[in-house]
Amino acid sequence: MLLIHCPYCDQQRAEIEFAYAGEAHIARPLDPAAMSDEDWARYLFIRSNPRGRHHERWRHIHGCGRFFNAVRDTATDKFEATYQAGKPRR
Amino acid sequence: MSEALARSEPVSAQFYSGAGVSLSLAAPMARYALRARQPEPLEHLLGFELPRQIGAIKGGAACLGPDEWLLRGPVATTVATGAGLPVSITQVSDRSVCLLVDGPHAADVLAAGCPLDLDRFAVGRATRTVFEAVEILLLHTSDDRFEVEVWRSFAPWLKKALETAARQLR
Ligand SMILES: [Zn+2]
Repeated sequence: MLLIHCPYCDQQRAEIEFAYAGEAHIARPLDPAAMSDEDWARYLFIRSNPRGRHHERWRHIHGCGRFFNAVRDTATDKFEATYQAGKPRR
Repeated sequence: MSEALARSEPVSAQFYSGAGVSLSLAAPMARYALRARQPEPLEHLLGFELPRQIGAIKGGAACLGPDEWLLRGPVATTVATGAGLPVSITQVSDRSVCLLVDGPHAADVLAAGCPLDLDRFAVGRATRTVFEAVEILLLHTSDDRFEVEVWRSFAPWLKKALETAARQLR
């Protein structure tokens, strides 16, 4: 059973309680209308997709309900850290 | 009130009784979902202090998340609407039913489908979690009693799953 530390509950909880929610720290552009189609498409669809250290969002959906950020190694599936949404990138 | 009396429950009152564990349906109760960034306006309306730590229970209110509480009380319990305040108060009494898991083997039955570390889930704790495929709210209310809040439509399935786990105890 893979355990994930929820930074709001401050507990290790089973992965089955969580939902993955894509790459983290992607800010929505403030003025989409001023962007070229290419830039908009890059914002919508292009992700870093690294092999290794990846910043991503998770949600403790069957727990406290909160979104938070995590650093996970995509090759080993090891979580390096989890931290509350809005906190600086680790 | 007549509506409450005429309502049919999704599972029978006492549905399993075996060695070390019994399963039953709790009596109807009032439930309120309380949301607020800051708990103070809610506390002012309720007239008591809400638990601040996620997972704690106090005065019938369980803290489920940083801005979320579930208040459970007798059927007649009412809470002001909170109009004009930065709070959300929703009456959800009939959203779920409560299944009671009683007895010295209560935790063993729950461990069959719930990933929580129940040895470290002390009396007075509450949390949303899962049992097999359904979301539940689990409350540890006394040494030998766990209360399982589950959405009404999931209750017959959960009843069967708990019963199956209970039958397999040795
Ligand atoms: Zn959590």
